[in-house]
Amino acid sequence: MNAPTDPVLDIRNLTKKFGEFTALDNLSLALRRGQILGFIGPNGAGKTTTIKILVGAMRPTSGTATIAGADCVRDAWRIKRLVGYMPDTFGAYDNMRVREYLDFFGAAFGIPRGARAKRIDEVLETTGSGWMQDRYVEALSHGMKQRIGVARTLLHDPEMLILDEPANGLDPQARIEMRDLLLKLAGMGKTLIVTSHILPELSRICDVVAIITQGKLRAFGTLDQIMRDLRQKRTFEIQLCGPAQVEGAAAAVREALHQDEREGVKAHATESLVRFDTARSDTELAAILAALVGLKIDVSQFREIPKDLEDAFLSVTRREAPAT
Amino acid sequence: MIPVLRREFLGILRSPRALAALLAAAVAFSLLVLVRWPAGGIVDLSGAGSRGAFLVFAAALLGGVLLLVPAFPASSIVRERNQGTLLLLFNSPIPPIGIYAGKFLGVLAFAGLVLCTTLPAAAAVYAMGGVDPWRQIGLLYAVILVMAILSIAIGLLVSTRATSPDAAVRVTYGMVFAVAFLTLCPHALTRGTTGLSATIADWLRRLSPLPVVMHLVGQGGAVGGGLLEKDSGVWQFLVCGLGLAAVLAVATILQLDHRLFDRSRDAGKITDDQSLWVRIVRRLVFLVDPQRRKAGIPFYLNPIMVKEFRTRRFGRFHWLLRLAAGCAVVSLLMTLAATNGTMDWGVETIGGLLVILQIALVVLLTPSLAAGLIASERERGGWSLLRSTTLPGWRIATGKLTSVAWTMLLVLAATLPGYLVMTTIKPTMWNQVMLALVSVLLAVAMTLALSAAIGAFHTRTAAATVTVYVVLMILYLGPLVVWAFRGDPFGEQVVRFALSITPLGAALSVIGMPGFTQYELIPIAWKIAGAICVASLIVYALQVWRLLRPE
Repeated sequence: MNAPTDPVLDIRNLTKKFGEFTALDNLSLALRRGQILGFIGPNGAGKTTTIKILVGAMRPTSGTATIAGADCVRDAWRIKRLVGYMPDTFGAYDNMRVREYLDFFGAAFGIPRGARAKRIDEVLETTGSGWMQDRYVEALSHGMKQRIGVARTLLHDPEMLILDEPANGLDPQARIEMRDLLLKLAGMGKTLIVTSHILPELSRICDVVAIITQGKLRAFGTLDQIMRDLRQKRTFEIQLCGPAQVEGAAAAVREALHQDEREGVKAHATESLVRFDTARSDTELAAILAALVGLKIDVSQFREIPKDLEDAFLSVTRREAPAT
Repeated sequence: MIPVLRREFLGILRSPRALAALLAAAVAFSLLVLVRWPAGGIVDLSGAGSRGAFLVFAAALLGGVLLLVPAFPASSIVRERNQGTLLLLFNSPIPPIGIYAGKFLGVLAFAGLVLCTTLPAAAAVYAMGGVDPWRQIGLLYAVILVMAILSIAIGLLVSTRATSPDAAVRVTYGMVFAVAFLTLCPHALTRGTTGLSATIADWLRRLSPLPVVMHLVGQGGAVGGGLLEKDSGVWQFLVCGLGLAAVLAVATILQLDHRLFDRSRDAGKITDDQSLWVRIVRRLVFLVDPQRRKAGIPFYLNPIMVKEFRTRRFGRFHWLLRLAAGCAVVSLLMTLAATNGTMDWGVETIGGLLVILQIALVVLLTPSLAAGLIASERERGGWSLLRSTTLPGWRIATGKLTSVAWTMLLVLAATLPGYLVMTTIKPTMWNQVMLALVSVLLAVAMTLALSAAIGAFHTRTAAATVTVYVVLMILYLGPLVVWAFRGDPFGEQVVRFALSITPLGAALSVIGMPGFTQYELIPIAWKIAGAICVASLIVYALQVWRLLRPE
């Protein structure tokens, strides 16, 4: 039995090669029970390869991956019980109603008939899909299918859920509902790995984020940690009361900053603001503000621009992109 | 029209299967003539050799067009609709008639290309002498071309109505073969009679290219016990074929508009939630109500098998009951025909027709069910879900096979009443009937195993279905063509070998069908069928295992 603090997912030096091509290069990361991991990267980065290894559909060239102590290669049978996998394609069957569809997958996992019926009710309730149990699967909208896909992964009550692009193609309302559903599942103690291209969605629900490009893990940790690692400089905005003082304020800021930071100072007369990147401490920034006030510049706001997952992702992908 | 035509034609040509078909046609037709080419510089002045070569050439040409052409138009429109590109075409300045013409001419151009590859062989047949270039070879090409046009028109019409490419392929092949072969049946049953039904049956016969081709090769009346008799009707066929194709084209063009997309989602009505009165009526009408909420899958049934039944449109029990009832009625009607209107046929002939009916059902239904067993899962993403479940591979493989086996056994069981009537009329036939039934069962097993094995190597259901149909048609119809030309050009040994490849010849032989009684095909035909069956099952099992293991 694993201790609660033990990682439920432990990937060590995972490598997958297809001939000369390295799809996954020495990937290592760990995840604790109940955490949500946002697994992001551009197309072809190695996300699906990692997921396929975790669900036992692919063998790594080297390295190990364990889920709740079960090795993804040697204990493939246990892995199927431990993991609920929702691929990016739904896998609809024609002429089947939602309840029959879930009943089939419940039977495929060997859940006895009586317990299965109860479990189907539970997962439909959890995903808020009870009202569509008599609908034909192929007639469901994309958002409905995603909910049923999540319900399907929950049937055998797995410890870990791996969801490939669950928010892809959803409208804003359905995205919000999906986000709430994922948070609800994490609240139930499930560990989740979620891939998505909709980064603002991920940033709102993920405890930890892994950014992968060209098969290599470029960043891993909480969003704050990643931002600190990726960018030593912070971005600030000075909002002025009018456009007349914009150039003066920009000159004052350039004067106060180091030589290498001066080029990054941008004056936006139309918005009446000055934006700049700096690695200076809060005390030094207070001095800049004081200098502006001393120059009779009417500052209405002096604020730091918070960085989001999109900035982190772009920062990593631009840094790793091959030179053209 | 031109962009659609160009894309359609080039799209077909870019497919490796189309290229393979073209090459296969060129090689096969060259070989057909080569084997009949006079050896040692001796010329056959009677022309019998060249007529024999022309006969084989014509049969292969007709078979090639019937097997190759329908697959392309069948999936043409439905695939575009499902991929969303049809809507883009509707929003372009090309009118529906232009879209239709583009698609029609694209496939026709490919069919023309296939026919062109056979021209050197036709020239060689002509060079052998004894065959008229215009009255025989020219008219043969005209007949084949009209049959290709008719097949394309049928395929495109089916494609506008179908919901999936594989369903369209199945229905199109069924309809094309119905036009080619089933249209002869009413004439066979009403032959020698007069009146409206005989006239209608005679005109229906004009839609089949078979009597015309047989007449052109000089075999009218020689084959099929006079079924393909004397009167050629070449011009009637050309007019009727083109007329029917025109009607089908108009019907298709009228459907090519935005109504194709104007279909609401099924609300999933369920009988359990309706009034008691509705529930009672539905129970009486359906016996097994398809809209009743189902109980869970019990532990003693393979979930894959149950899933297969439930996901087939006609796999639900009420449809199976209807199919079984239809088969029972047909078999009884045929036996009734033996006892009343056509006594001269004899019980053996009716028994032979029952065997042919059963094998026809097996060859038509089994591929449509078995070819997509694995391919449909891979095409629609179900396979990765199945892999993630705890179901072992052998249960997936057997569940899929048994779902088809039970359906086919039910259909065959429904044709048994005909045999019962036969054995009542002639009790001495009991043993023959038993042997024939064993042969038919072997045919089911062989066809099922072969279809599943071939289909498992495909990732698209439509392609799997077409490949399986082509293989089975060659396997089952090929020996019958050889038998039809027994004596000239095929000798006794060749016919015996050809008939022993499938259990069909054995079943017809033991039941005493005229023309087959002289061949002793049991147990060799059973052994060959058993060997094909076992080999196919091994291949199928290995492929399922390969697809399930980690990459």
